[in-house]
Formats: sequence, C-alpha cells, structure tokens
Amino acid sequence: MKKIAAAAMVITLLGALMAGCSSGDKNSGNAAEGASPEGTAGAAESTTYPLKTDEKLSYWGEINGNLVGVKASHDEIPFFQKWQEKTGVKLDFTAPPSGQVKEAFNVMLASGDLPDMLEYNFIGDFPGGPEKAISDGYIIKLNDLIDKYAPNLKKYLQENPDIDKMVKTDNGSYYVFPFIRGDEYLRVFQGPVIRKDWLDELGLPVPETIDEWTTTLRAFKEKKGAAAPFSVVSKPRFFNESGNGAFIGAFGVNRGFYQEDGAVKFGPAEAGFKDYLKLFHDWYAEGLIDKNIATADTKAVDGNIASGATGATVGNAGGGIGKWQPLVEANDPKAVLVAAPYPVLKKGDKPKFGQMNQAYASEGTVAVTTAAKDPALAVRMLDYGYSEEGHMFFNFGEEGVSYTMEDGYPKFTDLLMNNPDKLAPAQAISLYARSSYNGPFVQDKRYAEQFFALQTQRDAVEIWKNTDAAKYNLPNITPTPEESSEYATIMNDINTLVDEMTIKIILGSEPVDKFDDYVAKMKSLGLDRAIEIETAALQRYNSR
Amino acid sequence: MGNRQTLRRRLVRDFLLNKYLYLMMVPVIAYYLVFFYGPMYGALIAFKDYSPMKGILGSDWVGLKHFQDFFGSFYFLRVLKNTILISLYTLLFEFPAPILLALLINEVRRKKFKRVVQTITYMPYFISLVVICGIITDFTNADGLINRMFMFLGYDGQAMLQKPELFRPIYVLSEIWQRIGWESIIYIAALMSIDLEQYEAARIDGASRLKQMIYITLPGLLPTIMIMFILRMGNLLNVGFEKIILLYNPVTYETADVISSFVYRKGLLEFGWSYSSAVGLFNSVINLVLLITANTLSRRATQNSLW
Repeated sequence: MKKIAAAAMVITLLGALMAGCSSGDKNSGNAAEGASPEGTAGAAESTTYPLKTDEKLSYWGEINGNLVGVKASHDEIPFFQKWQEKTGVKLDFTAPPSGQVKEAFNVMLASGDLPDMLEYNFIGDFPGGPEKAISDGYIIKLNDLIDKYAPNLKKYLQENPDIDKMVKTDNGSYYVFPFIRGDEYLRVFQGPVIRKDWLDELGLPVPETIDEWTTTLRAFKEKKGAAAPFSVVSKPRFFNESGNGAFIGAFGVNRGFYQEDGAVKFGPAEAGFKDYLKLFHDWYAEGLIDKNIATADTKAVDGNIASGATGATVGNAGGGIGKWQPLVEANDPKAVLVAAPYPVLKKGDKPKFGQMNQAYASEGTVAVTTAAKDPALAVRMLDYGYSEEGHMFFNFGEEGVSYTMEDGYPKFTDLLMNNPDKLAPAQAISLYARSSYNGPFVQDKRYAEQFFALQTQRDAVEIWKNTDAAKYNLPNITPTPEESSEYATIMNDINTLVDEMTIKIILGSEPVDKFDDYVAKMKSLGLDRAIEIETAALQRYNSR
Repeated sequence: MGNRQTLRRRLVRDFLLNKYLYLMMVPVIAYYLVFFYGPMYGALIAFKDYSPMKGILGSDWVGLKHFQDFFGSFYFLRVLKNTILISLYTLLFEFPAPILLALLINEVRRKKFKRVVQTITYMPYFISLVVICGIITDFTNADGLINRMFMFLGYDGQAMLQKPELFRPIYVLSEIWQRIGWESIIYIAALMSIDLEQYEAARIDGASRLKQMIYITLPGLLPTIMIMFILRMGNLLNVGFEKIILLYNPVTYETADVISSFVYRKGLLEFGWSYSSAVGLFNSVINLVLLITANTLSRRATQNSLW
C-alpha cells in the first residue's frame, strides 16, 4: 500500500511540476498584457516611426515560396531587415520549413512555447477558426489594443466598413493584422491558360464552351502530338485549382460549399458534380488529360508545359503565365500563352464560378499571442504597414533602391524587373517588398500593373474576371468554437471521400454511376449537419 | 524483517565497493527516465481533450471518447486492414531478403567482390527518404523507366502509383531495395562467429556446399534470425508513415492509407492531439501484445528469446 501511495505522490508531484510550468508561461503573458507598458501613454493617436525601444520581439512566419533557394532566413532578406529599421523594433524570426507550415505550426502550439507574433492563416488553416484560437488562449483579442495603439489600421477599417466586417469574427473580435487586396483588380489572378499559337495554327478560336474545349484538346492531341493536352497540378488535392471553380463551374457547382438562393450547398453532393466527373472521365479515357494526373505536382506540370506535351492548364497570371511564357518560348520561339475564359456549357452564358478572392485574404495575417511580452509594442509595430509610409514600403520597398517616383507613380527599378542576379521579378520583388504575395498591409494595384509585365497577363485578369463567383462564393465564415471539432471530423472524412471519388471515377476505376452511392455515403458521414453548421455561420456573418 | 536488513546491508556494501560502476549507470538511467518514461505521462492526453494552454493535467477528462471515435470511424476497418496487410507483406518478403543476401555473400570467395557487393547493396539505405520516393515516383510514371521497359516488351504503359492494386507491391519491393544491404550486415556478422571447424568436418564427411548451408550456416544463424524476428513483431503495426505519405494519393487510399498516415492527417493537420495519441496508444498496446506473443512462442519453440 505504502509503495502505491509513494508512487502516486511522485506522479502527482511530477504532474504539478509540469502544470506549474505551463501555467507559469500563461500568467506571465497575461501579466504583460494587463499592465500597459511605459512609454505608450499619450501615443494613442499617432505613432512616430522608428519607435524608440530596446525590446526584441519574436516573430514566427513562413518565408515566401518565391524565395526558397534564394535566401535561407528572414534575416538575409532586405525587406525584413529594413522593416526592423523603419519600425525601430528588433525582431527575432523563426521560419517553419517551407511546405510544412501547418505541421510546424501545430507542433509549436502543442509545445506551448509561443513567440510574440504569429503570421498564419487563422481562417483557412486553424481548425475552429480565429474565435477558437482566442478562446483556447493562443492569440489575444486585439480590439482594445487596436483602439489604443493602431490608429492607421483603425482609420482604414473605419473608412472601409465592408472590409471591417470581414476582418472581425462573429463576436466582433479583431484577431489579426489583415492582408487586404486594395483593389478589385487584385482579387482575380487565376484561370484557364492555353497555347494561342497552337490555336492559330489549327484555325481554332479560344475555347469558351465545354464542347469547344473537347474539340480543342482533341486537336492538340491529334494534330500537335501533345502527350498530355490538359495538365494541372494535383498536389495536395486532385486538380487543386478546381477548388476555385475551374471547369467544375460550368456545371453550376464548385468543390466546396457555396450559396445559392439563400441556401448553403456542397458542390460534390450536387448533380452537376456528376456531369463534371463524367466529362473528365471521358477526357481521361480519350487521352486528353495527363496520364499521371493523380500524382502531377508543380514540377511535373511545369515540365509538361515547357516541353509542349501540354497545351492547356489552369494557373495564375503572375506565377503561371509569367513563369511558363519564358519556358515555352525557350522550346518554341512562336509560343504564346493566353488566358481562356472560365468555360460554360452554352455559349454566351456567364460562368457561375471562377477564381475571385475576398478583399480580405485570410493568409499572411499576423496575430499577437498570449505569450507576448509587450503586446502594445507588437501592435504599434504591426500598425506601420497601414500607414502611408508603410504602405509604400510594403508594396514597393525602398525608394531609390527598389522603386523610383516618376510623376507620382512608384516605378520598380531594374533591380526588380531585370534582376542582375537573374532572379525572376516575382522573386526579386519578394526580396524588397511583400506586394507580390501577402502580409500585414493593404496591397496596391500599381504593383500588379508592373508585375504583370506581359500584355497577356494583364488581359488575363480582365478575361477571368467575368464570372458570377462573387454572388455564389461564401464569405470567410467559421463555425463556432463549440461546433468546430464536430465540423472538422465530418469534413475530414467527407473530403477524403470526395478526393477518392473524384479521382477514381475520372481514372475509370469506378463507374460514373457510383456517384450516387458516394453521395449517400457523404450523407451518412454527416453532410447535412455540416451544411447546417455552415448555414448558421453564414447567417451570423450576414448579421455582423 | 531480518532478511531485509541483510539485503539492505548487502546492497550498501555492494554500492560502496562498486560506487564508480554505479555512478556510470546514472546517465543511462537518466536517459531512459527522461526520454522513455517521462513522455509516457503524456499518454494521459489520450483520455482528455488536450489543450496546450491548459496543460496536460488542466485539460478536461473525456474518458474513452477518442478511442470510440477511432473505432467508430468510417475508415477504421480499412486503415487497420491496410496496416496489417502492409506489415505482413513486408514481414513475409522483406524480412527474409537480407538473410538470403547474407547467405549468398557468405558463399562468395573473393574478398574484394564481396565488399563491393556489400557496399552497393547498403547504399540506398543512406539516401534520404524524400529522394527515394522521388525516384520511385519518377520510375513508376506513365512514361517512367519501368513503364518504358514494359512498353519495350509490348505492354501498355500506365501510371503505377495510380493503381491501388500496385501500391503494396511497390511499397514492399522498394522497401527491400532500400534495406536489404543494411540489414544483412548483422547476419553477416553472425556468420563470422560460426566455428570454421564445423565446415571442415562437414567437408570431410562429404557434405556439399548446399548441405553445409542447410545444416551448419542456417542453424548458426537461427538465434540471430529469431531475435530480429521478435524485435520486428514489436513494430508490426508501425508502418513508416513518411514513405506512405510521400507515395500515396487519393486513388490509392484504399490500399495505402495506414493507421499512421491516417493519424498524421487527423492529428497533425487538424490539431487532434488527443485523438492521435489515443490511436498511438492503441497501436502500442497491439504491438506490445504481438511482441510478448512472439517472444513466448519463440522461447517455447526454439529456446531463443529476448527475455
């Protein structure tokens, strides 16, 4: 008996020790939050940069994919060096390995060892969304701090109530310093891309309907000898870009939830999805789609396009056309890639879906954690991005180095557009500014006008813009913290099922008729409950 | 009482006599305490709704909820079946491979040739798994190396990683390729310890090389094989998830998705720490049972065992 008692004692002590450690961390965080630090009183209205402080804040965030292989850490990137200089706050960066952001974030949270600031997508990649991140005690609600220490962001949100609505949670909590696409023009950047030179050679128009696409792809295969006439990236999910409605949209559905006539619907459970599967199944059987479609990653698709095995794909204006145009030209000087409109079934129809991001993009946003030693300082530092000076700096970098003012227009220098180290503009811009990806600031249209160096890229945005996506897409809604784990469990199983069904039917290992069984299975996995949760979330959003 | 007194006295005396030896044990004990027994405390979260901010003890108890969720999951049976099948196939085909290789290498007379063979066969073991999987993906593509060979023979090329029925063979074959050389080292070492006089005697009695292998080499290897087998049983359900994750895609989920890859998707990508650790605990219990069973059977049948 005595032994058991002793063992129990030891375990309890050990436990208490550990619990002590973790709660200790938390308390220190809260204490710092409560006591407003010295030197901030009276600074509520306007902040002058650089701030005068000796404190060093820690910052966790991914290095932009454009810079993988160019620079290894934040400290080597001029933008991040300058950012510290301009704000006067020293930052200690930690970067998760590229491509494993979610895993690294998860491990960091589980360890309980949080930095002062976190750059992460709290709507898309945090199960349960921002409100749960706050209620679980990872990040702090920023309302009071923004009122006191972030005049620039506050002003922007006051002037743009529609964006203000997106940036808040259902409960009205502010939780991050948001990334905002400052112009309609910046919200569309992806769509179908096709080889114009081949079309001209074959005497075909740019395809608009699904039937025209079939004809075109057939011609590519038969007359141009394309081994994979249509090829798209399928990692991590089959035909990633279909998530935005590419090709699926022609059948009146998309791959996720959308709203129609006031109701929330799940695309893969709707009849239109079956027609989409049938089309792709037929295309695959006929050899119009890449044979390795299930395993095709970015590298494989780039290779196919460059070698002329592929004549059509779906991609971005900047990272797609901008990247592929030089590649195809290298093989065939006449090659031209242009945008094709999102396909429809009947000529003249307007596509129901297409890529159209929200003005408030949920990625690239920065939260302040509960562990922050001096949350007010972090907030003042982050507010810089929304000031006039910060706006120029985030979008264009430093005057005289990365841009020059010409008649009031910030023009990128050759350092960026014709980089002496042979870096692509997307890479070079990422070194000096954050406009080509994201971050805590408002994106400026003037960056894109220059970044899209080719006329075909600028036209692309206009062509892809023509969809009804804005009407049907759901805004950034989230389930409540209580519902979130239930929702995550349901959707994890359903998404696995959808991925499996999609690819199996397309590859022909299951007949198209099996679709109805799959829908029944989705129902048995709780699809109706998921739709119910989404509907409630949408209602809460609408009544914000 | 008297007995214990003497025991204690004996311990104290022994300790005083060998105090430096005991001191040397401290790091080892500390190592096990810190890295093996300490983390066991974390297994508690399998029975709780763990939230890092509340700490392990501060989180709420939920009893067996996570276990029930796992057993009741839509994919439970499939995942379990795949795990067991992939493990069994690996055991069946990959486990004997290094033994065979060791026996073959043992028969080689030329020392130089022997070394070259050994070096070449254990090379793949040192290549990073990510690279290995890249190579596998490239080779099995619709126009990859393997398919080109088939096409040369008049078959149609097909993307092999898109065929659910081919996933397990690809996994097991590549596993053999990767590990055969490395794992044969221990068997080769065991072969070295077989008394050469036995071979001489056998030769004098007129035994052929094959007979020598069957009656001398194999029995000499048996203890090592048994120990390796028992150790392997203890890991039966731990199919390496990195390789699965790098190779699978939704078409092959039905044959490729194993417990660990399922847990990875669920736990690490969706923050289901408690759920994953419940599944991990379940996995460990099964492994423990298998290990004990294998050990007992082996002790009864061959007198070789771990304990």
